[in-house]
Amino acid sequence: MNGHQPVNIIMVEDDEGHARLIERNIRRAGISNTVHHLSDGSSALRFLFEHPEGPVKNGPALVLLDLNLPDMSGTEILARIKSDPALRRTPVVVLTTTDDKVEIQRCYDLGCNVYITKPVNYENFADAIRQLGLFLAVIQIPESEGLG
Amino acid sequence: MAASEDTVAEGHGSLYSRVMARVADELDLSDRAATRAVILFVILGFLGLLAGGVTAGIVMVDNQQRVGWVNHTYEVERHIDRLRLQMERLEAARRGYLLDADPTFRMIFDDAEASLTHEVAQLSALTQDNPAQKATVERLTDQTNRLRVMLGASMIARSLGLDQKALEDFRTDGSVQMARGARTMGGAMLAEENRLLSARMTTQRRTVNIFYGVLTASGVLLLLVATASILLIARYVRALATSRDSLKALNDNLEQAVAVRTRDLRRANDEIQRFAYIVSHDLRSPLVNVHGFTAELERSSQTIVALLQRVEQEAPHLLDAEARRAVYADAPEAIGFIRTSTQKMDRLINAILRLSREGRRTITPERLDMARLVRGIADSMRHRMDEIGAQLTVETPMPEIVSDRLAVEQILSNLIENAVKYLKPGRPGRIQVRGWLEAGRAVIEVQDNGRGIDPKDHERVFELFRRAGFQDQPGEGIGLAHVRALAYRLGGGITCVSALDAGATFRLSLPVTYVAEPTA
Repeated sequence: MNGHQPVNIIMVEDDEGHARLIERNIRRAGISNTVHHLSDGSSALRFLFEHPEGPVKNGPALVLLDLNLPDMSGTEILARIKSDPALRRTPVVVLTTTDDKVEIQRCYDLGCNVYITKPVNYENFADAIRQLGLFLAVIQIPESEGLG
Repeated sequence: MAASEDTVAEGHGSLYSRVMARVADELDLSDRAATRAVILFVILGFLGLLAGGVTAGIVMVDNQQRVGWVNHTYEVERHIDRLRLQMERLEAARRGYLLDADPTFRMIFDDAEASLTHEVAQLSALTQDNPAQKATVERLTDQTNRLRVMLGASMIARSLGLDQKALEDFRTDGSVQMARGARTMGGAMLAEENRLLSARMTTQRRTVNIFYGVLTASGVLLLLVATASILLIARYVRALATSRDSLKALNDNLEQAVAVRTRDLRRANDEIQRFAYIVSHDLRSPLVNVHGFTAELERSSQTIVALLQRVEQEAPHLLDAEARRAVYADAPEAIGFIRTSTQKMDRLINAILRLSREGRRTITPERLDMARLVRGIADSMRHRMDEIGAQLTVETPMPEIVSDRLAVEQILSNLIENAVKYLKPGRPGRIQVRGWLEAGRAVIEVQDNGRGIDPKDHERVFELFRRAGFQDQPGEGIGLAHVRALAYRLGGGITCVSALDAGATFRLSLPVTYVAEPTA
């Protein structure tokens, strides 16, 4: 992946079960990068912008974002990431149950890089995550500009 | 959806009738009272005027009579005067004749005598009505006749040359006194007539006064009636204007109330749609977990199965029947049930999602050639129909309508799919689609000769997750619920005519031109 610094995976997901399943399938796809799991919007924002291990202070990252969070909508986090000069190049994968066309369009308009609907069928779900893992293995992720 | 629409209609209906009843009441009260008052007053006024007119007429006729009587009196007086004159003439002629037997005097005498007789007759005729005057006239006639005879006798004596006898007569016969008496009598008659005249004049004046009085009273009454009528009409007009204004206000209120209700209903409907959407989404989330961890469990149990197989080979004495059953039978069975149930739940949630999404989809009306549309659907099912030997005929012409293509296609393909799906085994399927215009609506019928639907289930088949009849076909009981929701959405409706084993006819009724619901 990145030459000198491993990419951190930041997973914003309020459902513990989903988080667990996602992580397991990422691991099964052979991805061993650190996964930071955050289960609500405000702690996700705090981690993204302030935490010493967060992307602003600590190298490149990839965000897996769920839209249905208890304290705010995931689109708000997406907007914050994409309007921040330090984070706007950070890839964001929206992974959520919503397959509403308007919502999908809105996410792409806000700058989301990939939009994946969580299939209820587990086999499909696992497939999707594993493919995402393969995708993670090949993509180039820019250094966070925060370090620059 | 059906329920909410019914409520709208009912709600509007009752609200409308309530308001209209109130308006009618208000109008009725003021209206009836005012009309009654006006009519009563006008009738009274006109009755008064009529009475005035009749009285005036009566007084008029009476007055004319009285004037007639006054004239009559003057006539009598005139005749009395003439009588007296003729009497003077008669006496003067005789006196002259006695002095000088000139035949001229004789002629004057004869003429005066004739005139006198005439006047007496006239007077007698004129005074027939008055007994007192009649008696006087009779006496006067008598006196006059005697005087005439007497004077005539002296005239004859003179003409015969018996001058002495004539002179003697002149001095002794009292004719002069008689003449004076007759004159006095005439004077008395005159006085009597004058008395009558003044009495009649008084009466006439009184009558004229009454006439004027009646006329004045009528005039005042007319003025009163006119004023009162104008006032009442003005009040009535004002009341009418007021009730018109209040009617307008009520009408505006009604429209407002209807608009508010419609908006509320629409909001409630939107709320339900959103609710359905959110709920089905939030239900999906845990379902992902149930699904996912069931798979994980299956994965783990595979490990356990592998371990069990190894134990069986290497140390079979460690295993008992219970452990074997748990690992080989019970666990897979449990996992299997969890799977099928979650799959079914997923399908149901997806159905709700689809319905709610359909409800929120924007309708884009366009001109639709129904015959072509139906043939298109039939073509997409041709393979299936050929397989089971079913035949579909489209009875042309079909009406053209303006509506949402996707919705109409979904409705008809659902109906045709059902017709194909529920044919009677062993009976060659015949499906007919026809359409016509009826009272501004397009009616499309899909008729089959399949197994039919029990009439008690006609409502049930349109309900979500409900099915009817023998359950040998896959399905969730969503199709017809969807069809009905779509039909309602397009401003139409759908009914079913069928009996068990006698085929089914689904009748779809749509507005010829889709009219968008007014946005609240």
